[in-house]
Amino acid sequence: MPRRRRRQTRTAYLFLLPGLLLFAIFRLYPLLEGLRLSFTNARLGRATYQYIGLANYTRLADDTRFTVSLWNTAFYAVASTLPILAVPLLLALALNRGALRNVLRGVFFFPFTLSVVTVGLAWLWLLDPVVGPFNYYLRALGMPARSWLADPATAMWAIIATTVWWVTGYYLVVYLAGLQDIPRELYEAAALDGAGGGRTFWTITLPLLRPVLLFVVVTHVIGSFQIFGQVFVLTGGGPGDATRTVVQHLYETAFQNFFQFGVASAMAWVLFAIILVFSVLQFRLLRGHTEY
Amino acid sequence: MRAPRVQTIALTLALGLLAVIWLAPIVWVMVTSLKLTADIVRLPPEWIPWPVTLEHYQEVLFSSSRTARIGRAFGNSLVIALGAVVIVVVTAAMAAYPLARMRFPGRDLVFTLLVGSLMIPNAVVLVPRYVLVQQLGWLSTYQGLIVPEAAMTFAFGVFLLRQFFVTMPGDLEEAARIDGANTWQIFSRIVLPLSQPVLAALAIFAFRSAWNDFLWPLIAVNKPEMFPLPVALALLRSAYSSESYGPIMAGAALSALPLLVVFIVANQRIVEGVRVSGLKG
Repeated sequence: MPRRRRRQTRTAYLFLLPGLLLFAIFRLYPLLEGLRLSFTNARLGRATYQYIGLANYTRLADDTRFTVSLWNTAFYAVASTLPILAVPLLLALALNRGALRNVLRGVFFFPFTLSVVTVGLAWLWLLDPVVGPFNYYLRALGMPARSWLADPATAMWAIIATTVWWVTGYYLVVYLAGLQDIPRELYEAAALDGAGGGRTFWTITLPLLRPVLLFVVVTHVIGSFQIFGQVFVLTGGGPGDATRTVVQHLYETAFQNFFQFGVASAMAWVLFAIILVFSVLQFRLLRGHTEY
Repeated sequence: MRAPRVQTIALTLALGLLAVIWLAPIVWVMVTSLKLTADIVRLPPEWIPWPVTLEHYQEVLFSSSRTARIGRAFGNSLVIALGAVVIVVVTAAMAAYPLARMRFPGRDLVFTLLVGSLMIPNAVVLVPRYVLVQQLGWLSTYQGLIVPEAAMTFAFGVFLLRQFFVTMPGDLEEAARIDGANTWQIFSRIVLPLSQPVLAALAIFAFRSAWNDFLWPLIAVNKPEMFPLPVALALLRSAYSSESYGPIMAGAALSALPLLVVFIVANQRIVEGVRVSGLKG
């Protein structure tokens, strides 16, 4: 028996080997290597570098651009969470029983198959201040046209709207699956007791969707902290620093202006720490009341 | 019973209208790409391109002007995405099989490690991965794009396939073992053929990730002839002024094409993939 067991263990690890190698070399090693680099003054093209302790981290505290980009990212994450939770949920509720469910689900899902660059270019054109259709129709409705992406007051909101359009279909599918898993008998029982649509939503649908909501929030927040492509294409971080996000700042620090790999690695680990803290907090907060 | 029916019809109509609005941005991209340059900026917006022209497609696909090498970039993206699909499907299926159907020391640890890694943001490993790929001499090469893309999707693939393998009935495997088949034969001749739907879902997911990724190729490639589509498109934008949206929108429409085809053919499969990934997250 032990010999058979040993053979099975060997077989199992042989099966695992190619994938684990890929994983260890291109995922795990870079994570730890990044932590090491964050304590050095490494630069692109510099052959040797020294350990400089926490200097990169203390420098970040004085880097006003980093602070601004952190706030922008936090603003984006917070301001986009409610629409990301609500828009797909409302759509899912409306689609759940409807006749055209599968067709419409396909329509709303489609933008999610596009690359962030394609999405960004499409919206750049739609929102064009002079010849874009969005402003044209606004004017036709008697509302003032604006340079949505060039105005610090609206640029981040335009990025949020673009993102909502892009990812709603994904979360819609997740919600629809969650709704399907709620037993019908619960609704029938509620209907017999005379509960209306609103009551049923608050007492049955929402509580039973809690794990799905948790998934959506955690996934979205992790994604939010890494927002890059939309910003890169739509605003380039501007106007001024109004939409500069952490990953954009990291990209510029490491690959565009200064090639400071040490500093950029420190940024990456600060970002990682923030994401971890948020994820744990959300799990605690949202999982707290799942018992019923 | 009359009121609910009216309500249903109204709801369906409202949703239909919303769906039309939802598609408007992408329709606008397509419409623009087919218009004459002079017609593109005309107001009010014209939603039917007339006269139709393919000049913008011709320009981005075949002209060698400036950075506009969309034709070449399209080919690069295909190579990269298909390469990543093959690596992800093979390695993830091989890894998920023992994790789902064998008992061995370290199994739970390996699985926890892989699932936990789904929380690691890609942006966090960007710099060190660049250093690694540079040391391997893989910058601006296909392998430098394919292998890291595959590594990004691997853990998710294991997760998705394991969910499926766990639910398979064991009888067939047992019967094959009694007939003298070894583990590899059971895996490749029984398990894999039975898993085609979920393998297809993973393939589509991996294709989408690699086809659409922007940040990694943006830094890992510095030769224009090696750019994948998203990078080439983003640079196309800076190559043309805002008066000529035509070529940019032609490029954008081309980039949407492969997944549009996949999506029409395999809508249900994509949805299944998202469903499984979403619910157990």
